[in-house]
Amino acid sequence: MSALLARVPRRTVLPAVAGIVLLVVAADAIGRLGLAGAAWPTVTDVVDYLTSPTAQTLLGRALAATGTAAAIGFVAGGLGALALALLGALLPAAGPGLDRLAAVVHAVPLIALAPLLVTTVGREGTSTVIAALAAGFAVFVAATSALASTARAGRDVFAVLGASRLSTVLRLQLPAGLPTIVDGLTLAAPAAVLGAVIGEWFGARRGLGVLLVSAMQNVQIPLLWSAALSAAALSLAAYVLLVALRGWVTRRFT
Amino acid sequence: MSQPAIALQSVVKEFPLRRGTAVRALDRFDLQIADGEFVAVLGPSGCGKSTVLRLVAGLDTPSEGTVTIEGARPADLVRGHRLGVAFQEHALLPWASARANVELPWKVAGRPVDTARVDELLELVGLTGFADARPRQLSGGMRQRVAIARALALTPDVLLLDEPFGALDAVTRRRMNLELARIWAEERITTLLVTHDVDEAVLLADRVVVMTGRPGRVRHTESIDFPRPRRTEVTRDPAFHEIVDRLTRLLDESDEPGHSDAAA
Amino acid sequence: MTLAEESERIVRARAAAPVRRPAPRTGGVVRRVVSRYWTIAVLLVGWQLWASLNGYNRIVVPQPGEVVADVVGNSGAYLPDLLATLGMSAAGLLTGMAAGVALAVAVWTSPLVSGMTTPIALIMRSVPVVAMIPVLARVFGYGWQTVLVITTIVSFFPAFVFVAARLRDAPRSTSDVFAVLGASRVTVLRRLLLPHAVPGLLVAFRLTAPSAVLAAMLAEYLMGGRGLGVLFAQSVSFYQPERAWGTALVATVVSVACFVGARAVERRGLARMT
Repeated sequence: MSALLARVPRRTVLPAVAGIVLLVVAADAIGRLGLAGAAWPTVTDVVDYLTSPTAQTLLGRALAATGTAAAIGFVAGGLGALALALLGALLPAAGPGLDRLAAVVHAVPLIALAPLLVTTVGREGTSTVIAALAAGFAVFVAATSALASTARAGRDVFAVLGASRLSTVLRLQLPAGLPTIVDGLTLAAPAAVLGAVIGEWFGARRGLGVLLVSAMQNVQIPLLWSAALSAAALSLAAYVLLVALRGWVTRRFT
Repeated sequence: MSQPAIALQSVVKEFPLRRGTAVRALDRFDLQIADGEFVAVLGPSGCGKSTVLRLVAGLDTPSEGTVTIEGARPADLVRGHRLGVAFQEHALLPWASARANVELPWKVAGRPVDTARVDELLELVGLTGFADARPRQLSGGMRQRVAIARALALTPDVLLLDEPFGALDAVTRRRMNLELARIWAEERITTLLVTHDVDEAVLLADRVVVMTGRPGRVRHTESIDFPRPRRTEVTRDPAFHEIVDRLTRLLDESDEPGHSDAAA
Repeated sequence: MTLAEESERIVRARAAAPVRRPAPRTGGVVRRVVSRYWTIAVLLVGWQLWASLNGYNRIVVPQPGEVVADVVGNSGAYLPDLLATLGMSAAGLLTGMAAGVALAVAVWTSPLVSGMTTPIALIMRSVPVVAMIPVLARVFGYGWQTVLVITTIVSFFPAFVFVAARLRDAPRSTSDVFAVLGASRVTVLRRLLLPHAVPGLLVAFRLTAPSAVLAAMLAEYLMGGRGLGVLFAQSVSFYQPERAWGTALVATVVSVACFVGARAVERRGLARMT
């Protein structure tokens, strides 16, 4: 977060901090006064729980499982999507069909996809594959639009130089599109985390998604909120990491 | 002259608009450029002069008529990597150094980079000390010089320049024109320059073709006989100003409305 | 770059989704259809081949024909749940987008509100909202309220971001005209800014409509009650594979239809407003 805040003028930091403090205080007050019922804990309840050794082992193991699934899914989905987008750029005839495929696969509801995946790739693989699909869609959308939006003058120069399509894609369209593709990656990283968590709802043995559902069913309120906060933190961390990468890529490629 | 290097014969170019209507950018346009000749096409904005260049570059195909370069279609020259081009937007690769940008034509053609030629080109455009600089570290004029070095890289048969200095301020532009006159005197490549700047056209070209606006036709052709290499002194010659004034007047007249631009 | 702009850029990048590719010029309708839908055909044929070649029985993988037959033949079994899901999504969409617009206007009115909400909005953006369904289920109870809450939250953010952005970049010259006319802030908001913000709202609508439906189904699946998500869960546990896959098919079609419909609304609206 500090990398993000460092670039913000001080004038906007004060209200921002005030906003976050207000959010935490309000959350605590709702818990203390019982405004949202028993399922809303106080902030101290959650902090107490988070600092206990048992909770740390439990959450640590779940974080590792979800993080691994999300990371593998992110890399595999991102590379796969990039490959498809490049294929669409190299074979324009295939492009529209690939667009439709991406839209339809994205529209297939996870509840429908997950059982299918459980029978094909198993319970543990499901969350990785869903993470890959979620990340892959974001990357595919960004990459197709990036490859298609190269400035006309650049394309003309390559055309006049007699560049092959492959050469144009690799030497011009891909590097010129990198900032937009990395934009897609910043969307894909939280999407992969979300995909991994939801994928775990369909029978995985460990992971934050498993904790979320079992804590919901067994009314373990501090665990429920801790798992939710861990998932949010993981997602935020993935996002901030990619924003830093985006900064570097934008400086290098524009 | 023998067979012209570039020949456009009664070329018509129409661009389709909505539902069957089309705008006619060029109408029975004729132009011959001899081998080693520098021709400037001069015209008001929107007169179709860039279309002429795009047709010669193989970026567009004519609706009617023929465009040939050395008797072949532009696409054939493109395939043989024998064209060089520079646009108003420098279109340099922003992630690559000046040197890497000049090396691009070899890489695109799949040939080994001729390092000695790259050095020579960088020296020719006066950027020896800036070989490793990235485009955004260079001034506007320097970027255009890199673009021109890139256009000259493979010693092309034909050099195409579309308002290469159009985005520069007047002072830099003038300096770049003198620079280009010097470079061209050394390389002597068949060149087609498209511009709306009369001084630029007269300073650089062997022949200036003035176009009418929409649809574009040849209105007047002027031979420019100043000896080369042309330096600043040429621009102080009264004859130079006489030509510039005459062409400017022609340009003003062809800029007037009265031509219908859409054909059904 | 401020945090607000940052978060906007992110969402805006997602809005850049539909890429217009030049349609092949030669060849007729057939060629265009083939070029657009060949992947879908490959998908269906692959499904059929996979089901028959592996010799899966219909419990594991039913064949496409059987699934379509169940949807068409027993549409009555799908309809109530379909309507329940659509109703919940529509209600959530409406409340979420209304809340988004309201907060956007509040942010426009007060720089303090703006400064306080933007970091929260940014954090919220990277919080996997849909993964929070279990928490919301505990807080709001197992039932339609939670489905409504999740669809509302999903719909809220894009509306807020896009409308806030449009409110901020209203055309300068027109604003000046209003200022010269001595218009009050309320008049400026009503006559100039809100109409100017409509395209932003339409973008948000296109982005949100499909995800609201998908989120509703996930919530239904986890909690029970009514809706396509529940129908799916029940068909799985009662070994009705055609029904389960049929639900998946209906849900997919609904989600695609929502996207296409929302895009049509956006285009119409843009043509009218600009």
